[in-house]
Amino acid sequence: MSQTTSTKKAPVTINTEWLSDCSGCHVAIVDMHEKLLNVLEAIEILHCPVLTDIKDYPKANIGLVSGAIRTEHDRHAAEEMRKSCDVIIAWGSCAVYGGIAGAGIVHSKEEIFDAVYGNNKTTISHNSPTTGISPFEKLVTPIDEVINVDLYLPGCPPHPAFIFDALLSLLEGRAPKATKESVCSRCNRTMVHTDVDKIKKNFEGVAEKENCFLSQGYICLGSVTLDRCMSPCPTNGMMCTGCAGATMQVLTEPNRDIRTEIADRMSKITKISRDDIISEIEYSAKSHYSYTMASKMIGKKPTFLIKKWIANTEAEYE
Amino acid sequence: MIHISIHEQACRGCQLCADICPTKVFTYDTSLMKAIISHEEDCIGCLSCSYLCPSGALHHTDHHVVKNFYHDLEFLSRMEKFL
Repeated sequence: MSQTTSTKKAPVTINTEWLSDCSGCHVAIVDMHEKLLNVLEAIEILHCPVLTDIKDYPKANIGLVSGAIRTEHDRHAAEEMRKSCDVIIAWGSCAVYGGIAGAGIVHSKEEIFDAVYGNNKTTISHNSPTTGISPFEKLVTPIDEVINVDLYLPGCPPHPAFIFDALLSLLEGRAPKATKESVCSRCNRTMVHTDVDKIKKNFEGVAEKENCFLSQGYICLGSVTLDRCMSPCPTNGMMCTGCAGATMQVLTEPNRDIRTEIADRMSKITKISRDDIISEIEYSAKSHYSYTMASKMIGKKPTFLIKKWIANTEAEYE
Repeated sequence: MIHISIHEQACRGCQLCADICPTKVFTYDTSLMKAIISHEEDCIGCLSCSYLCPSGALHHTDHHVVKNFYHDLEFLSRMEKFL
């Protein structure tokens, strides 16, 4: 009944834009499979870099912006999206926290260009391109540093079920079903108490299928990561890397952090000391904070010293 | 009275809630490998269990909300915008 009335309404117009990211968020729309047909009945996609050949930014009701602000073009596109859309959704971890693109904050522009073009073993050209690409910004930032964002949908990419529900809730004018639970909530492992007294690297041995990674001494970010993925990694034998960003309690409270929260839980179910876990995570900080380090929500924490941790790790290599 | 609920599927059976609770509200079912709320009436609403729970499976209602002075206000304003 409600469906027949909704089809009579004018379609909700949507613009999407793709800044510095991998395209995974746009691909996730296609992953809605046949559910996409339900959504398409009620929406009209206007500007979408992978679907429509519209270069300007027509007026739209909803704007989905994926990717971080890395170049001047990204900034321009984000500003144009803000001007043309009534509601802006920061879509995916890059837009919300900076994501993988945000890991660029730990190196200067010169270091990045040197690694990619100057002294890269796999490229022949040793000159950085000067034309045809948009100039880099000084820092990588999530989009809410540049434009006002109305809603956030983290995830790398957000599972199509969450995108579907987010779009549907906006169309129906209700609150989305999004939960505040962590990746552990959908994992099928059991957190048993063990006598493990040593942290294992991801590649050491094969983890047991039934028990939690933390119980076995592997560092898994599931308990500090928002569930926007349906927990595919831990369910299939891979530790969570925290791609949907930190849980609400980590984000809202300056004294709680990814490493301290994991250390609290892991030290209580194993024989590994809390300090050892914290220093191990700091040692591999580039991996464990790779999705959220560019966000002020993490970067502004008084105990967050990623540049120092990385310098310590690099000093050890040299 | 404070009401606690456990999202049963989300419970990973770590017993951390039972270990940390100062008033022994939880017991642990060894056959199901899940936490059980046995003495809800004893809950003082400290939320220690809720903060420690790895999966965010514990929810309290009707507890006295203490305004946390160290909350990150800048982020709190964004929190309700999370989908």
